[in-house]
Amino acid sequence: MDGRSILVIEDNPDDQILTVRALKSASVDSPVIVLEDGEEALKFLFGDGDQPSRNVESVGVVLLDVKLPKVGGLEVLRHLRSSPSTQWLPVIMVTSSDEPADLLEAYRLGANSFITKPIDYREFVEQMTLLARYWLQVNRVPNASAVRSL
Amino acid sequence: MIGRWRYWRLKTKLLFLTLFTSALGISLVCISLILVENQNYRKQLESELHVIAGILAEQSAAALLFTDREQLGSIISSLKRIGTIRQACIYTPGGGVLSALESQDTRPCPDITQPLEAGFVGDAYQLLIPVTLDNETVGHLYLTSHLDVMRNHIRTFVLVTIAVGALILLALVFLALRLQRIVSGPILTLSETAERIARDADYTIRAPVSGTDELGRLGNTFNEMIGTIEQQNRRILESRDSLERIVEARTSELSMANRELEAFSYSVSHDLRQPLRAIEGFGQALEEDCGEQLNDAGKDYLRRIRAASVRMASLIDGLLVLSRVSRQPMENESIDLTTLLQEISDELMNIDDSVPTEVNIQKGIQVVGDSRMLRVAFQNLLENAWKYSARVEKRRVDVSAVETVSSITIEVRDNGVGFDMRYIDKLFVAFNRLHTPSEFGGTGIGLATVYRVVRRHHGEISASSEVGKGARFDVTLPVSRR
Repeated sequence: MDGRSILVIEDNPDDQILTVRALKSASVDSPVIVLEDGEEALKFLFGDGDQPSRNVESVGVVLLDVKLPKVGGLEVLRHLRSSPSTQWLPVIMVTSSDEPADLLEAYRLGANSFITKPIDYREFVEQMTLLARYWLQVNRVPNASAVRSL
Repeated sequence: MIGRWRYWRLKTKLLFLTLFTSALGISLVCISLILVENQNYRKQLESELHVIAGILAEQSAAALLFTDREQLGSIISSLKRIGTIRQACIYTPGGGVLSALESQDTRPCPDITQPLEAGFVGDAYQLLIPVTLDNETVGHLYLTSHLDVMRNHIRTFVLVTIAVGALILLALVFLALRLQRIVSGPILTLSETAERIARDADYTIRAPVSGTDELGRLGNTFNEMIGTIEQQNRRILESRDSLERIVEARTSELSMANRELEAFSYSVSHDLRQPLRAIEGFGQALEEDCGEQLNDAGKDYLRRIRAASVRMASLIDGLLVLSRVSRQPMENESIDLTTLLQEISDELMNIDDSVPTEVNIQKGIQVVGDSRMLRVAFQNLLENAWKYSARVEKRRVDVSAVETVSSITIEVRDNGVGFDMRYIDKLFVAFNRLHTPSEFGGTGIGLATVYRVVRRHHGEISASSEVGKGARFDVTLPVSRR
């Protein structure tokens, strides 16, 4: 991969471990950054002010839990989509339930994908791998020589 | 005109009746007066003429006897002064004319040797009398009179009568109007009051009442009646208001309970699944990372832990679906049930093709309802048909529909193990199962969900079976009440 990281925003420690393990066992070799909640995620991406921090450039894809303490996942998504620097950042919403309202709201706010975490861990690994890989690929900056040759 | 009589206003009817009767009476009186006067005047004219004739006969008797033409001529011409006499002739006993009074418009003296009737002839009254002297006829006298005077008299009389009649009628109109105001006035006021009350639904209005006659009593009774209605109305409004307050309170309690339930099921779906996922996930991790350190029993326990968490998750999912079909607002749309059933059966065929399966779904089944809910219901019914016929040699599932005027019944039949009809009352109750988990897996929520969906569509569901001979489920839905 191109060294850009996967940002996992997940409050539950069990899910943090399982998600990281799933990505590792699927041989996704990008670095994984884990953040605890929405507030921390906004701080990481935008610093203390409204200007995007440098961290933004290092993120390839965001795995964002819907249900987070303090600032919720959908709220974080709204922030990301309203800032020009994060507007096109791939965001995969992750949720425990298949509540249809959440799914509709997430897509309305501009999520790229939506996963309902399955109980079966193997299924979760498969889904996670496919989506993370796909969005990392899509979001890759074309290298300069490739662009010139076009 | 009579046909519209009932549409006339009371005022007009009264006026019309009064005037019609009066006009009829006055006309009858006028006509009879005119007829009587005409008769009287003729008689008077007749007797007048007889008197004149008598006098004339007496005066002319001597002159006739001596055939004194001069004398007769002066007698005759004296008649000119009497305006009513038009013609006079004096005859000899033999019938020759001795003297005559004639004018331009008279005929010659008639021949009296022929019989001549006294009376009205044409436009004149004629008379012929003998002239006698000492009981001996010395000649004849013939007289005719003008009727112009009589006609003038009658005409004047008719005019006066009509004028008086018209005056009386006029006076009657005036009186009738007054009378109408006395009689129909209060009735009109009453009817206007009633109309106003009916239009504005304002029961505080009362009709003005004057006098103690029948109309006054009617007004008072009307007012009492409105008073009663007003009281009853107030009571009805009060009880409606209190009912509304109760309903409002209940509604807000209910919607609060509903919101709590929604929040509860949302949190159930999130928070109960998370630990299960952890159990399952770490179980998997344990098996993968530390599997070699476990003996076979340990591996079996681990497998059971993971299977239990998956079963628990499907229970939670079932409960969530059940709660969703109970609280979700209903859509009312036209649904092509055949296509929907075909989709479900295709999916099931893909998942489980271990048994050769024949599916017959009747073409063109159309129902009205909520497509998501009905999908859940028929998904459950078909899944059951699949599941309980997993051990037959050849699985057979039939779906057909029977439609009546008011409802449509969809029959789902399978050739599976069926169930014992003794336990039918447990069939549609959540968490009740008629088979052990080792026979057939399941949550016991599916048919409860089907029942809930059918009831929300104001429909019915019934089931029948014989052990080993398959089961049949009849879903009856009311036909569109739009």
